[in-house]
Amino acid sequence: MLELTDLSRRYGDVVALDGMTFTVEAGQMFGFVGPNGAGKTTTMRIVLGVLAPDHGTVRWQGRPVDLATRARFGYMPEERGLYPKMRVRDQLTYFARLHGVAAGEAQAAADRWIDRLGLTERAHDRVEQLSLGNQQRVQLAVALVHDPELLVLDEPFSGLDPVGVDVLSEVLLDYARTGVPVVFSSHQLELVERLCDAVAIVNDGRLVASGRVEDLRDRGSDANQVRVAVQGADGDGWLGSVQGAEVLDRGPAGVLVSLPDGADPDAVLDAARAAGQVTHFSRERPTLSQLFRRVVLG
Amino acid sequence: MSGATGGRSAVWLVARREITERIREKSFLASTGITVLIVVLVAVVPSLLGLGGTTTFTVAVADPAAAPVARAAVRAAPTFDAKVKIERVAPARADAALRDGDVDAVLTRRGIRAEDDPDDKLVDTLQAANRQVQTAAALQRAGLSPEQQRAALSPPPLRVSTLEATDPDRDAKSGFAFVAVLVLFGQILTYGIWVATGVVEEKSSRVVEVLLATVKPGQLLAGKVIGLGVLGFCQILLVAGIGILAASAAGALEVDGDVIAAAALALAWFVLGYAFYASAYACAGACVPRQEELQSATTPLNTLILISYFVAFAVLQNPDGTLAKVTSFIPITAPVTMPPRIALGAASPLEIVAALVVTTAGAALLVPLAARIYRGAVLRTGSAVKLRDAWRAAGA
Repeated sequence: MLELTDLSRRYGDVVALDGMTFTVEAGQMFGFVGPNGAGKTTTMRIVLGVLAPDHGTVRWQGRPVDLATRARFGYMPEERGLYPKMRVRDQLTYFARLHGVAAGEAQAAADRWIDRLGLTERAHDRVEQLSLGNQQRVQLAVALVHDPELLVLDEPFSGLDPVGVDVLSEVLLDYARTGVPVVFSSHQLELVERLCDAVAIVNDGRLVASGRVEDLRDRGSDANQVRVAVQGADGDGWLGSVQGAEVLDRGPAGVLVSLPDGADPDAVLDAARAAGQVTHFSRERPTLSQLFRRVVLG
Repeated sequence: MSGATGGRSAVWLVARREITERIREKSFLASTGITVLIVVLVAVVPSLLGLGGTTTFTVAVADPAAAPVARAAVRAAPTFDAKVKIERVAPARADAALRDGDVDAVLTRRGIRAEDDPDDKLVDTLQAANRQVQTAAALQRAGLSPEQQRAALSPPPLRVSTLEATDPDRDAKSGFAFVAVLVLFGQILTYGIWVATGVVEEKSSRVVEVLLATVKPGQLLAGKVIGLGVLGFCQILLVAGIGILAASAAGALEVDGDVIAAAALALAWFVLGYAFYASAYACAGACVPRQEELQSATTPLNTLILISYFVAFAVLQNPDGTLAKVTSFIPITAPVTMPPRIALGAASPLEIVAALVVTTAGAALLVPLAARIYRGAVLRTGSAVKLRDAWRAAGA
């Protein structure tokens, strides 16, 4: 379990982080979302010890994180970084060794990841000779080559084509299934919603919301919206009888109706029944994107 | 399966990467080869060209009457910095032997025969030998006893005295000092720049962020500086070793305890000078975001080394002068200006120790300052970082 408690960090007069607190459970796919400049990269850098917080603590399995612990983390920074002139296999072996893997094992692990990510023919090429896509794979392998206990990836999906996104999703989900928490930031909210068990939404260096995606969507549904489809009704004129009801959206699944706070959705159901045969009636939960827009844009 | 690398083993891993990656570069191997070649040429060519040192001549005796002259020439040769070997050749074969280059000259009853214009040294030697033989014969005819003959033929030589003490090995020593200046200057400058380039490479490729997630900035810096330093040290050792062997084989330098000690001290000065400058170069590298901006950031350091180099030439001319004495106690110049003084025998043991202490202290002061600036600047990838800002950032 990774616990971030009250992390704060300033750059000169700019407050980058202000009381960032959240928890990532074992085996969780954890999405870290927020607009540019919200403090995601700063938070990740602090977790990896690349940056020191002005205030606050990071704990892993209940203990404060030190250099020895961090050696067992895997990290892919937003600004990708590899030695351009170093050969792929040497590079992976080197990073495995830096993370404390014994020499022989490090080479074996490098070969395993080269094989798994389809880089076998490129193993002895210099990184600068590879295509950007292959460089990205090497970068991922660098984060994974020492079999980390925690994975932290800053915008791992940016710049990937759809096939690349699928390959990476697969690798990360496999990892999370073995009990390793995978924390990653992304702007692709649909992807985060599809992959993640839990998220943290941040804005202006503060945590806006965090928790399991399902819980957040449930909690977010207090906006009191229902989607209803009525067969045989003529338009949505029947809604006129429901006080305060407002149509937000008309789709193939029915109309999305917004009700005033505290109003009983049963009133909509009753009116719908009176108008025709109700084929669909559900409380509408917001998507992650909608939640994000609501909490971030206000 | 993974765990923390200890501090020392992280430094070692970083250092080893620097060495292995550099050694695998063809340009590195080529430049090492060229340096060795140049040093060997410098050591060997003067002897090959007959500049200084002893030259060996082979002289054929084509007529038994010439044999005493030949024997006298063997005895007289050292006076002319030469050595004469005698070969017996049948008179009929004499010209062929000259043409084949088997012999340098043929002594006949009437004189010296050579292929073309013979070497002056050889001619002088043979003429002196002839003079001696003829004089001895004349003295014998005049009835002098063998003792009287010997006294007349070898009077006590003129003694040479000088106003200043002279060193018979002066030429060899100044040659050694000159090469030491050249190598130290080149090596400290080259490896310093390599440190700076390496730091910028890690910054501009952003790999530094991945690295700093597992190693401390101080370990990364130490590993890089130590790795390249070990490489530079071994390279000098190789070049110096081969150079000394070649010079000794060519007879240009007599390898004795003094030469070994001077070479060892030159290596020690490389270590100190490199430690001093490499940490400064690392700061320069850490403060710029791209290779293109490195040139201007390293100019002040390059200039300091270049100044030391020019001062060292003045020191070679006048190793006891004020400039030589003062600059051997300034850590910035001492690594290049002190070794030639030591090689020329102009520095007393006390001075050597004092200069070593001062420069070591300078390096010991600079290294932690440099490490702090490096720490504060190395992650700031956007634009150039001011030294003062880097200093403050690392203090936080």
